[in-house]
Amino acid sequence: MKTVIKTTNLSKVYKDSVVPVHALKNVNLEFSQGEFTAIVGPSGSGKTTFLNIIGGLDKPTDGHVIIDGVDIATMKESQLFDFRLRHIGFVFQAYNLIPVLTALENVSFIMLLQKQSKQEMEKRARAMLEQVGLGDKINERPGRLSGGQQQRVAVARALASKPDFVLADEPTANLDTESAFNLLDIMARLNKEENITLIFSTHDQRVIERARRVITLVDGAVDKDEYFERA
Amino acid sequence: MKLIIIIAWRNIWRNRRRSIIMITAITVGLWGGLFAASFSHGLLEQRFETSIEQHISHMQIHHPDFIRDQAIEHQIHDWAEIYDMLSADGEIKAFSGRTILSGMLSSANLTRGVRIMGINPELEAQTTGISNHLVSGTYFAEEIANQILVGKKLAEKTKLQERSRLVLTFQDQDGELVSAAFRVAGIYQTANSVFDESHIFVLQSDLQSILDEQIIINEIALLAKDAEAIPQIRDTYQELFPANTFRTWNEIATELSYLIEMARVMITIILIIILLALGFGLVNTMLMSVFERTRELGMLLSVGMNKTRVFLMILFETAFLSLLGTLGGILLSVGFIYLTSKRGIDLASVGGDSMEAFGFSTVVYPSLSINLYFTLIILVIITAILTTIYPALKATRLSPAEAVRDQ
Ligand SMILES: Nc1ncnc2c1ncn2[C@@H]1O[C@H](COP(=O)(O)OP(=O)(O)OP(=O)(O)O)[C@@H](O)[C@H]1O
Ligand SMILES: [Mg+2]
Repeated sequence: MKTVIKTTNLSKVYKDSVVPVHALKNVNLEFSQGEFTAIVGPSGSGKTTFLNIIGGLDKPTDGHVIIDGVDIATMKESQLFDFRLRHIGFVFQAYNLIPVLTALENVSFIMLLQKQSKQEMEKRARAMLEQVGLGDKINERPGRLSGGQQQRVAVARALASKPDFVLADEPTANLDTESAFNLLDIMARLNKEENITLIFSTHDQRVIERARRVITLVDGAVDKDEYFERA
Repeated sequence: MKLIIIIAWRNIWRNRRRSIIMITAITVGLWGGLFAASFSHGLLEQRFETSIEQHISHMQIHHPDFIRDQAIEHQIHDWAEIYDMLSADGEIKAFSGRTILSGMLSSANLTRGVRIMGINPELEAQTTGISNHLVSGTYFAEEIANQILVGKKLAEKTKLQERSRLVLTFQDQDGELVSAAFRVAGIYQTANSVFDESHIFVLQSDLQSILDEQIIINEIALLAKDAEAIPQIRDTYQELFPANTFRTWNEIATELSYLIEMARVMITIILIIILLALGFGLVNTMLMSVFERTRELGMLLSVGMNKTRVFLMILFETAFLSLLGTLGGILLSVGFIYLTSKRGIDLASVGGDSMEAFGFSTVVYPSLSINLYFTLIILVIITAILTTIYPALKATRLSPAEAVRDQ
């Protein structure tokens, strides 16, 4: 299967604190097209750092991040903006949505920035909202949606523009158990249907089992990398 | 771009109260500034117009030395030729030659120094319309010798009334003191009570007989049909009559022109101070709003909204606030100035009578030149741009990784 992301000897040292923090140590990982991966590990193990670096939001101290054969560590900041816009979908723990836009506008947002055609964009946005079960909420603003619904809109937005892969940093951290399962189920289903590579981080044991691959980080290094068969 | 503008517009209404306070502050600030400006502008404009109308006229002609030393011997010797030219000139509306003497006025009660204006009643009436400013008495109507018009202020101070007798004393050409008795024919009042207190009008012909001389003309004031043509008329006449000095109204009323110029500078300074204050308020508001949205802006920068777009978004937000405020301020001012310029503001009711002593009218009709609105709009645009840049830059300096981490 095609490799979407490949990291070689990825290291990150935060030097701005009193004692330098080795947040990532020599991480060598590959992610194939269509994989659904959970990054787990205790707090401070480097999950966010890893996702930020492969998402082009942060630079590694050492090593390379190759996405579709391109080393993004060598890209200029302005190129990275465009690269993120066209190739990567993001879901964060919170504050994913623009409060002044409706659910539909939020889902269309990335496609608007990509300058896609209007009709197609709206069709796709509606379809994605249907997919995440919010077909009846397309004209609501985020303030009137529950936390779980907001995260589902965020997932719809991240996938709507058909990125190479989607990074989700603790997408369920602010959700109750039911909403968390619901969100992960939706993510798993979309991963299958759209064949979009999905990587999420969590330290929530309950949702880990939804992933087909679980990478465990400990102190910035890969401790375990396991594959599971899921129904 | 359209998307950015829509988001920016909606963003300013997220914190409705803060935005409304900011817009109101701009509106009220500009209204205050513009009203102060229109008030002083109107006041000076009126003062200027009445000065020209009642006293200065469009242009004045003197012996070059008369301007420095208003002595009887500094005369316009070729006045007769100038009269002929002026009467024949289609561009001239009216003119009046005057004999001007410094003298003493003695009434039964007291003695005061006065400037004696020896006039030709018909010419003077056409030029300054002094005949229309009588509050009592008549304007040199009958064939009586030694009539005099005194200003209301002087009449009050010296307790002179219509038909009162008084004595004028002045020097003749040889420096000899001459005295003559006059009788008050009328009392006049112009907008400038300082003028009224110091100037009295008598007939040129009476002075002529008292001095036993030819007619003496020290000053010719004239009105043109078109005020715009004044500089060119001055140049023409100056060349034809080089022995005299021809001055236009703005050269004569230098201190008044200066006052107007100074008021303009003051108004601009006041507006700049108001705009500075508003600018700081706006910067503060926008910085607060950027700071509050750190994570949201971080998210936007992460998902691919580049710095230019984030910069533009904050720029539009600031621009919307300042434009709404400016629009409000200008509309409020225009409305207010329009209303007050019709009815005028009577300063007498708030104890402003003392203004009259300085030649200012007690009823002020605020007005504003289009120029000032332009100046203001340019200043507002400059302030808006300057105030926008800092918060907008602050927003683009956010590092997406840091901003989304900032839990
Ligand atoms: N900007 C920074 N400056 C200095 N140290 C940092 C910075 N960001 C992260 N760290 C440190 O790097 C290490 C890894 O942090 P990271 O946020 O990647 O962990 P995490 O696995 O995401 O933790 P959590 O589960 O709490 O989110 C931690 O020790 C953290 O304190
Ligand atoms: Mg984290």
